[in-house]
Amino acid sequence: MLGFLRAAVGTDLHALKSLSLFADLSPRELKIVQGLLHEREYLAGEVIFDEGEEGNALYIVRKGRVVICRQGRPEHPIAEIGAGSFFGELALLDPAPRSAQARALEPCQLAVFFGSDLLSLLETESRLSSRILFQFARHLGRRLRGTVL
Amino acid sequence: MTAAHDAPTPVAHRGPGPIAWVGILAATCLLLVALNHILWLVVPALMALVLSYVLDPPMRRLMYAGLSRQGAAALVTSVFVVALIVASFALIAWAGARAEDWQAGVERYLRAGAGLLERTLALLEGRWSVLARAGLAESVTTWMNEYSETFVKRQVQPLAVSILAWLPALLLGPFLAFFILRDGRRFHGFIARAVPNAYFERTLDTVALGLGLWALGLPGAWLLGLICAVLAWVPYVGSIAGCVLVVLVAATDFSGDPKMAYWAIMLFIFVRLLDDFVFLPATVGKSLKLHPLVSVLMLFVGGAVAGVPGLALVLPLLGVAAVVGAALSEIVTDRRLRARHALGRRLRAAQAAADLE
Repeated sequence: MLGFLRAAVGTDLHALKSLSLFADLSPRELKIVQGLLHEREYLAGEVIFDEGEEGNALYIVRKGRVVICRQGRPEHPIAEIGAGSFFGELALLDPAPRSAQARALEPCQLAVFFGSDLLSLLETESRLSSRILFQFARHLGRRLRGTVL
Repeated sequence: MTAAHDAPTPVAHRGPGPIAWVGILAATCLLLVALNHILWLVVPALMALVLSYVLDPPMRRLMYAGLSRQGAAALVTSVFVVALIVASFALIAWAGARAEDWQAGVERYLRAGAGLLERTLALLEGRWSVLARAGLAESVTTWMNEYSETFVKRQVQPLAVSILAWLPALLLGPFLAFFILRDGRRFHGFIARAVPNAYFERTLDTVALGLGLWALGLPGAWLLGLICAVLAWVPYVGSIAGCVLVVLVAATDFSGDPKMAYWAIMLFIFVRLLDDFVFLPATVGKSLKLHPLVSVLMLFVGGAVAGVPGLALVLPLLGVAAVVGAALSEIVTDRRLRARHALGRRLRAAQAAADLE
């Protein structure tokens, strides 16, 4: 009955550490982040979020593949995200409307990291959150460089 | 698949509408009535929430040092309970040694307060003959004498009995706090979010009252301000107790200058109004994203529906009802979200029946 109180998140620390966002975190810090993640499962064709929807969270793909596309056009993908990658990361900065739609291409397991939890970490775990934000800035820098060049 | 320009786009949510708000306010009132019947559980639960908020930082430090969440929660709760027991015994011993001095001090302040009241009534009777003919001073003095004679029997004894009756329930506080700390994140969310602002509000209250009393030249103004602000946590009764305390101190230390007591009363009323109509709605209400007018009105509704406990519970309950109501309102009014949910259900139904056709 009180199963929701048990540690429900199955994302293992090794898989988290392999994500660039969390690459600098120690095992103890990874455990704190792990406690903030929410596990979700999607079937092929299911919408994860819509274009124009207010973004609140970053999604980490644990299993399966996700397509990022214009609203209702998964046959013309902008990007495909596989296991071990993440998407929707701009929602960590502000709750702006999503710039594209995300759909599950096949049955997926996702871990969801909410922007509000990152803000809480900024107040309570400044060292941990600064490490995440530094990696986030590097990630955005790489993406910007890739767009310009 | 539809073309891009035909694809539906999500609607922007404007928050709950008037019908949803009526539902939120009605649900808050119903919750107040329901919780009023299980106060023995609600009060320790609120205590546990505050305690868990206070113990959370040391628990995090222990977790950083390598302890598990359960171990850290058990350690900080145990240390708190032991410290509480030691502090209680020390307090009882300390208070026991000074009880006689305190009694004498209380009697001195009460005499000074009664003297102030008698002088004020005499002054009023001197100004307005109607009051003199009505025998205002005499009837008030008689009432006070009767009340003081039966005060211990009528007020102190029931208070002592009710404290003893509440003690087992209050012992639940640390027990619940341990589970909140251990399993916290999942269920103390937005209720605990209101706690820091409540502390903040207390700080504002203390600063305003302390500054005002200091400006009037009262001795120990900051301590008095702090005591009154803490007393103000007890709705109605706490404010009155704080006001009486300030007036008694002013009447005793400035017995030749009744104006000081009148100024203290005016200041107290001003600070209470400031607290009830500015600080409380602006801090607690803001934390719960409520309009200040709604916060103030709901305080009155809380008092009317569930008395003194209703005053203390109404804003946290309204916050809970508002969050749940806003989420329900979004789901009910957003067709796109409902369509996505329906698609998910269809896909799951098809997956479950895949090998049955």
